[in-house]
Amino acid sequence: MARETLDVDVLIVGGGPAGLSAAIRLSQLAKAVGGDVPSIAVLEKAREAGAHLLSGAVLDLSALAELLPDYRALGAPLLADVGRERVYFLTENRALRAPIIPPPLANHGNAIVSLNQLGRWLAGQAEAAGVDLFTGFAGQEVLLDGTRVIGVRTGDRGRGKHGETRANFEPGVDIHAKVTIFCDGVRGNLTKQLRRHLALGKGREPEQYAIGLKELWEVPEGRIEPGTVMHTLGYPLRHEEFGGGFIYALPDRMVSLGLVAGLDYHDPLFDPHVAFNRFKRHPLVSRLLDGGRLVRYGAKALPEGGWNTVPRVYADGALVAGDAGSFVNSVRLKGIHLAMRTGMLAAETAFEALRAGDTSAARLSAYQHRIAASAVRQELEPVRSVHQAFGLGLLPGLLFAGLSMLTRGRWLGDLRAAPGHTRMRTLRWYYGIDMASPTASRAVPPDRVLTFDKLTNVHFAGTAHDEDQPAHLLVHTDVCTSICGPEYGHPCTRFCPANVYEIVRDPGGAARLQINASNCVHCKTCDIMDPYGVITWVPPEGGGGPQYTGM
Amino acid sequence: MILVVAELRAGTLNRASWEAVGCAQQLAGGEPLAVLVPGGGEAAKQLAEAGVGEVLAVEDAALTSYMPDTQVAAVAAVIAQTTPRLVVMAHTYQARDYAPRLAARLGAPLVADVIGVKGSGAAATFLRPMFQGKLVAEVAPHGEGPAIVTCQIGAFRADAVVKGPAAAVRTLSVPLDASRQTVEPPFQEAKQAVDLGQAERIVAVGRGIKAQDQIVVAERLAAAMGAEIAASRPICDNGWLPMDRQVGSSGQTVAPKLYVALGISGAIQHLVGMKGSRTIVAINKDADAPIFEVADYGIVGDLFDIVPAMTAEIEKQSH
Repeated sequence: MARETLDVDVLIVGGGPAGLSAAIRLSQLAKAVGGDVPSIAVLEKAREAGAHLLSGAVLDLSALAELLPDYRALGAPLLADVGRERVYFLTENRALRAPIIPPPLANHGNAIVSLNQLGRWLAGQAEAAGVDLFTGFAGQEVLLDGTRVIGVRTGDRGRGKHGETRANFEPGVDIHAKVTIFCDGVRGNLTKQLRRHLALGKGREPEQYAIGLKELWEVPEGRIEPGTVMHTLGYPLRHEEFGGGFIYALPDRMVSLGLVAGLDYHDPLFDPHVAFNRFKRHPLVSRLLDGGRLVRYGAKALPEGGWNTVPRVYADGALVAGDAGSFVNSVRLKGIHLAMRTGMLAAETAFEALRAGDTSAARLSAYQHRIAASAVRQELEPVRSVHQAFGLGLLPGLLFAGLSMLTRGRWLGDLRAAPGHTRMRTLRWYYGIDMASPTASRAVPPDRVLTFDKLTNVHFAGTAHDEDQPAHLLVHTDVCTSICGPEYGHPCTRFCPANVYEIVRDPGGAARLQINASNCVHCKTCDIMDPYGVITWVPPEGGGGPQYTGM
Repeated sequence: MILVVAELRAGTLNRASWEAVGCAQQLAGGEPLAVLVPGGGEAAKQLAEAGVGEVLAVEDAALTSYMPDTQVAAVAAVIAQTTPRLVVMAHTYQARDYAPRLAARLGAPLVADVIGVKGSGAAATFLRPMFQGKLVAEVAPHGEGPAIVTCQIGAFRADAVVKGPAAAVRTLSVPLDASRQTVEPPFQEAKQAVDLGQAERIVAVGRGIKAQDQIVVAERLAAAMGAEIAASRPICDNGWLPMDRQVGSSGQTVAPKLYVALGISGAIQHLVGMKGSRTIVAINKDADAPIFEVADYGIVGDLFDIVPAMTAEIEKQSH
């Protein structure tokens, strides 16, 4: 099949904070040096910039201030400066307020943002600087020449349900680049290919993840002061489950709230969406939301493993930045500034390599040294094992986090943790009995005012895909009914926050996995948490996915 | 020389051929122009006014209806006789079909879907969209021999063609074998069989119907009421009813006078497609189903008991 090809100097995959910061930094460097301006292309699978971006989010402004010092004059969408801060420990009916704010959670000087709006704004800055932003195009496949990354192939358009070509068929385009910067986010599908082909994770600790579910609410006037930042520990999660809740008050009566749960839970019947509903029913939260209305819903996995799980982030012709490289501080609950900063460092490395005419791995390894010498390492290394410590339970985790703070991590050993999906127990192991038709543990019936079923929530994610295309979730379905059902009770139907996986019974009573691919909100949880690792997330036709306006 | 290939459909000139002439005039810069009319006839006379040096007509019975193999043979033969520098045609469905084949036959470069030209004469370059129009590429064909160019419809103006005195029409004869292909009658996509948006009454079924062969229960009610049958997503996903009967956010939006929902729980994705209905009747076993929140009349019960009784009653009334 004949394909179009496009040659650029630098290809950036993913228009999130890492990719857009890389693009902006590259054009700044080119401008400063003068001469030939390198051609820079950014691929983004969302129909418009920012549409697939979701985060809390409280932004540490340090990286933004470095990238665009006059960001306020340029109209950066900072919604509120952080004002009142609270940390609570929740039991089922009570909220115990922590007497002091633990230092990593102190957010004074930071700003509450919508990552969707920040992404859109950064995209505008990048385009104004002459960067070509290709929205609606997903990177499908890394193009390799031996061990050298030579670019990326975008996804085909116009394939029907069974892969057949439709009238509007257009094969994907091969984009060749001297350097490709992979910023495809948490569990990025291209970075995953790179890890496999080039063994980027060799000698590093296994990746660790969590899933965050978030809603945006409009609440009655005077309910909460804009700028208020609340974090919770404990209920609805159990001692054995990592995670916590957040509530951030935005201007105009808007509230952003969510729950993060570690994707390393043991209970095969745990359902993050059920936990989120329970969180909303807690008096601390329900009092806040009472009389308000749900505006938007979304979910996204996040890398939690920290410094020791960061893979090798360079290869011949390639660099990895942002969530794709696990650059998240799980103790401060922050990653946007690290995504931006690693994006900028990747851009600086790529730019120098281009000028030297050498984009080999040896040359690009300067990126790893840059990171090691930067604030990224200063921030991540001391807390490198904290997430892993929570694998031992909530109290050991907190204790270890405290010690890491006090010692700056110096005298603490490195803790290891197995990949989260291997920690899920079978029904028989966890409950000690065989179950005929297991359902989510501790489920609460949705009241459709405060709590909702997944399908209704999906509607509020605004997700849309062309219905006539192959399913973008590749599942070896023969495992489902033969092994996974009896052993784990189909956990995909629970950990998916968007009702993509559904077990339906044929009239004969035979169970069958139905994949509602068009519900997918691109959170990547199934690719991560499936106990057999038989689910692979690949990008659907470009442009499909959630619409996270204001998230 | 620049050769424009006109397009005929059942003997009538395709208007887009004038746009191709317009493109060729922009490209010429004094170079002679010729128009090839495969099939000849009346169209050749019309194009004689196109301000071109000459009109070439190939009149052959094999060209009366379009066939890619004879078309390529005819155009390739004319190109061999006249050795043009460029061959220009409109980017029609026909051109999309045979231009790649022609280019392959001649080993010639093909610049497809051109939206503009820069310069004229041998130095001219072509502009064409990439990435669904997000980028415009500037392309220059390489190599010896003719380059084939197709112009996007509407990119060049037919009314901007500089007309001239009637050119001579020269009839060429080229050896053509009979086509190895046969023509089927033109395919017309079937119109959407149902337009639920126009229906005054709709009976819709959901998962509660349980099996495909039970849909007849709902169909009988629909027949008795003079209503269209519709469904929620799972029914259409299972292929129990065609996709064009699906109501909801990924199907049709309807607002009939009467909407009867059978065994539909009322997921919000379905509700957004039907909540504008004037009167909504819901029958469902689950009293907590959200469909009852929008229903004007609700019956909690087994649809397999209720619907046949309703059908019988309506049939009795209408006799």
